[in-house]
Amino acid sequence: MLRMGRNDHETIRAVLSGDKEAYGALVVRHSHSLFRVAFRITGNEADAEDVVQEAFLRGYQKLEGFESRSNFSTWIYRIAVRCALDKVSGRKADAHSSQVGEENDPEQDAVQVADKSAGPDRLLLSAEISALQKAAMQSLTATEQTAFVLRHMEDCSTEEIGAALGIAPNAAKQAVFRAVHKMRSRLSTLRVRI
Amino acid sequence: MKHLTQEELIGRYYNERGGDGEDSAAVEQHFAGCAACIESYAALSWDLSEIKAPETPERDPAYGERVWAALEPKLVPHKTERWSWLRGGIVLRGLGYAAVCGLVAVGAFYAGEQWQKKQPNVAAEKAPPTKAKPRVVVVVLSDHLDRSERLLVELKHVDAGSTEMVSPLRDEARSLLAANKICRQKASQEDDPALTTALDRLDHLLNGLANQPGGLNSAAIERLQEEMNADGLLFEVRVLRSRLPDEQGAGANRPNGGTI
Repeated sequence: MLRMGRNDHETIRAVLSGDKEAYGALVVRHSHSLFRVAFRITGNEADAEDVVQEAFLRGYQKLEGFESRSNFSTWIYRIAVRCALDKVSGRKADAHSSQVGEENDPEQDAVQVADKSAGPDRLLLSAEISALQKAAMQSLTATEQTAFVLRHMEDCSTEEIGAALGIAPNAAKQAVFRAVHKMRSRLSTLRVRI
Repeated sequence: MKHLTQEELIGRYYNERGGDGEDSAAVEQHFAGCAACIESYAALSWDLSEIKAPETPERDPAYGERVWAALEPKLVPHKTERWSWLRGGIVLRGLGYAAVCGLVAVGAFYAGEQWQKKQPNVAAEKAPPTKAKPRVVVVVLSDHLDRSERLLVELKHVDAGSTEMVSPLRDEARSLLAANKICRQKASQEDDPALTTALDRLDHLLNGLANQPGGLNSAAIERLQEEMNADGLLFEVRVLRSRLPDEQGAGANRPNGGTI
């Protein structure tokens, strides 16, 4: 039975003094928000669930390093972002090794998307936008993709992105800029059609 | 004034004003009166506003409990003694013992001084001149790791642009270098690869802080912060420090210090 009601810091003290079960309250409390960010970064439900598991596991193992003046939700959020980044990096590396020699052509992506969609114009357009957006996201590096999601969808500041990715704020800023450039370039076909 | 760069436009979209107040005001002033920049910004805003977060699939309320059920068997309970000593007044008791030891040491020193003053000063006259003994400095690993941890925490949070903050860091790094070398040698002799590796990394970082060619500028600090984060050095030092009291007490063959 999970014990709720204690705040995060009290729960952490209990976990560190040997009460493993207390960690369950933290898992229950923060699972949904971690799933949201994990899904936004990985774009895949199964991967997002893996990321949530991995983040809580890493969090438990590193809990002794948790500084009591920090906020647990921010801390575990950063761990989840790192796990999601690792997941996306791994996926991109796999995709790269299986597609050596194949260059990604934006027009080719657009054509594939149009062929797959069917139905009324509005639905077609909406599906096309969403698929193009997904393809554009996949053209980013893992760091750019993660930085862009954190900036554009999670509304994180440059400093927060840097801290979550373990890079300097300026490097985080550059990653967001590069991502925006690439996204705009990939989505330019959409702009012309609309 | 030049038109706003793409980076400035993107920064503006995300409410990130770069540069100081004057630069920012000049950029805003230019932007307000420049049709080309306004047009570029509108195009950028349109493009970015079209990129929506994908709809997150709903998780049912029991999702968290399912995550916990899958996770729980993989977890090993944390050891209680590491934290219990922080509570229950043991720290205060330890401080009490330390204070008593300190008083005894001061008393012994004072008594020695008094005794020496009462002795006739013949020994010094008769004794043949001898070579000066080498200075002995005892380096205790736990103290060294304590100081190193404090330095790493400060490095982690230091504002890279502030010279007032950076200069004490450099001085502390210089003073830690020698002690680190001794502890590292000792760890190597005692064949403790985990400790040796951690002290190696620490040595590299301390060297970077202490002897940066051209001084510690903000770029160097950022690089060192990245290096520290990438290596997980702070975490490693904390882990080593946390296991010390047990191991030092358990046996004399731990590399717990050295002398120069």
